[in-house]
Amino acid sequence: MAPIEVVSLSQQSPVTCHAFNADRSQIAVSLNSNEVRIYARQGNDWNHIDTLSEHDKPITSIDWAPKSNRIVTSAQDRNAYVWQQTPDPQTGNVIWKPTLVLLRVNRAATFVRWSPNEDKFAVASGARAIAICSFDPEGDWWVSRLLKKPIRSTVLSVDWHPNNVLLAAGSADMKARVFSAYIKDVDKRPAPSVWGEKLPFNTICGEYASPSGGWVHSVGFSPSGDVLAFASHDSTINIVYPGGPAIYTIKLAILPLVTLTWATEETIVAAGHDCQPLVFGGNQGGWELNGSLDDVHSNKSSGGSRSGFGGASPVGRLNSAAFNTFRNAAERGISNVPGSPTTSSSTESEVFTVHQNTITSVRPYAGVPRQITQVSTSGVDGKLVVWDVNAVTPISATGLAGKLGKLQVR
Amino acid sequence: MSNVLRPYLAAVRSTLTAALTLEDFSSQVVERHNKPEVEVAVSKEVLLNPLTISRNENERVLIEPSVNSVRISIKIKQADEIERILCHKFTRFMMQRAESFIVLRRKPVKGYDISFLITNNHTDTMLKHKIVDFIIQFMEEVDKEISEMKLSLNARARVVAESYLSAFNV
Amino acid sequence: MEVNFRKIDIDQYDEDALLYNELYDTDPRDPAQALDDTKQNAAAVRGSLARNDYVGALTLVLENAPYGPNVEEAKNLNLQTLVTILNSTKGTDIPGIVKALSADAQDTLMKYLYKGMALPGWGDVSGSVLLGWHEKLTEVAGTGCIVRAMTDRKLV
Repeated sequence: MAPIEVVSLSQQSPVTCHAFNADRSQIAVSLNSNEVRIYARQGNDWNHIDTLSEHDKPITSIDWAPKSNRIVTSAQDRNAYVWQQTPDPQTGNVIWKPTLVLLRVNRAATFVRWSPNEDKFAVASGARAIAICSFDPEGDWWVSRLLKKPIRSTVLSVDWHPNNVLLAAGSADMKARVFSAYIKDVDKRPAPSVWGEKLPFNTICGEYASPSGGWVHSVGFSPSGDVLAFASHDSTINIVYPGGPAIYTIKLAILPLVTLTWATEETIVAAGHDCQPLVFGGNQGGWELNGSLDDVHSNKSSGGSRSGFGGASPVGRLNSAAFNTFRNAAERGISNVPGSPTTSSSTESEVFTVHQNTITSVRPYAGVPRQITQVSTSGVDGKLVVWDVNAVTPISATGLAGKLGKLQVR
Repeated sequence: MSNVLRPYLAAVRSTLTAALTLEDFSSQVVERHNKPEVEVAVSKEVLLNPLTISRNENERVLIEPSVNSVRISIKIKQADEIERILCHKFTRFMMQRAESFIVLRRKPVKGYDISFLITNNHTDTMLKHKIVDFIIQFMEEVDKEISEMKLSLNARARVVAESYLSAFNV
Repeated sequence: MEVNFRKIDIDQYDEDALLYNELYDTDPRDPAQALDDTKQNAAAVRGSLARNDYVGALTLVLENAPYGPNVEEAKNLNLQTLVTILNSTKGTDIPGIVKALSADAQDTLMKYLYKGMALPGWGDVSGSVLLGWHEKLTEVAGTGCIVRAMTDRKLV
């Protein structure tokens, strides 16, 4: 199936991350810079309406709290800001006002997510720590407590458990972990779950290594919170059932996945360097790859033509032929120009997916937490795409059978 | 493309595709820095196993992947002394112009003739599969180029010899 | 006083940093036993090859392959056994054999192919044999298999 909506937010630079507001009428993105740009939907167009600039290094992650309508951003400048809409005292216009968060980390902040109740957020960082931030009304600022042990490398992603206390983290030391981020003044004592009963701050409720030693790029709790999935750089996706000590590993024949989200209790959508969102399905009995949301076949006829490297270059003046390829490579998106002359040379490769480069982020777009119907993806190619989760193309039909054939459950 | 060369280039292509899975990664050792981890090599856990693809002793490619950068080093075929000289001149010429080549490294890794350094900035601004195409094409062309230069060098030597000797050919 | 204090690598005293040796898994067997196992495998492989059972022979070599830093001898022997198998297969049989292997065995085979290609002056392995296998293995197991050869620290 073709995607529901494709928005090209940028021709020149990647979309580092994206976050929609509650009613999906506005989106905050970072185009690989130190600014957050907010776009508003107007008919079929997205118009740039606001820019949030306070960071001085590239922004790594954005999250938009749906209920309290606050934006939290993290960046490589070691800082995080909480943005809140307030009227400007001089003009009376509503503006986004930043509040600095005292993170107390001394390396880049890499990932940020609001907790389900929106009274806390977690900031992953390169300082081998995760800052759990909560609001201190007396000081009128956000203060943090650090989860440190036993993290040994940069934390790449975090995800909150629905109970607002547990936090999963994936890091470059090849482990996915589940921590307690219980803060006395904020949280009520959580009900016992499969992850444990007594949960003081920094309890380690689980630690899982990636099977073939890849960095853990993405972690996610299932909607019930009883199952944990993580994708790692060894091209595997792993689903952990802590109750019955079972870990299902799916070894993929494609490039690593870097982002995942649960659609239902039995479905995961994941995407990464292979430029297409994949759907995995399963339950306690086992997991498998169901297919792709991107129908590679249908794109082939429409978007597959490409320009560049048109003139045959017979024998090799290196600085003409190779330099030309290089120049073409440098001009992004040129492979997408429709109607341009197609020269298919056996040595040139093409990408037939909707995203022309790595997908860096996949997030729920429509539906309720246990029944997500649409997801949005953004990637290095500057595109934002909305997909229907149920329009799965079986992999065998997409002609990728050989490429994706080998799956295995441990 | 000659049939002998094809499996070699195919192996380089697939390995390179697998290695070019880069992401932005700021240094966890020096604050507010962001450098190619494969070059600084301080954080061991973000470096991956280097892989070698070789056709024979004289033609090999070393691919050193890391979280945000890949170093590719090529050993170009040099069958005899002339090819060795030509190859040296040629790679030197290229490396002196490294700025306009963007991904070219100014110095080759020890034991190799020419090295490329591809970072996440390159994969962010260029299409990934085009970069792979570029490296493969470079490898195809460089062999062709050197044998062509060798031919024209020999031809020139013959012309010079002929015109020199024609003086005695009264 | 030490004048070169600027050259002292202070990062090595960072106690949170992962050390090289913490990244690598070691083979649970001790070196002598690993070598013994490999020798037995080599003998069994000769039997399988005599019966033209290439899949069986490869599985023997690839399952329980020695890995890690202190079993060098066993690792080299295992590579030699593997290369004998690779050299004795016909090119047309390779795709079928590769498909019959388990995913774990495919991953290990990929590691051995790269190891073989990286060895300098490896006499009896012509690059083309390894490249041929590499091509067929990539067709079946995909780039994911290559990625795992890069990430997996259980070096064969």
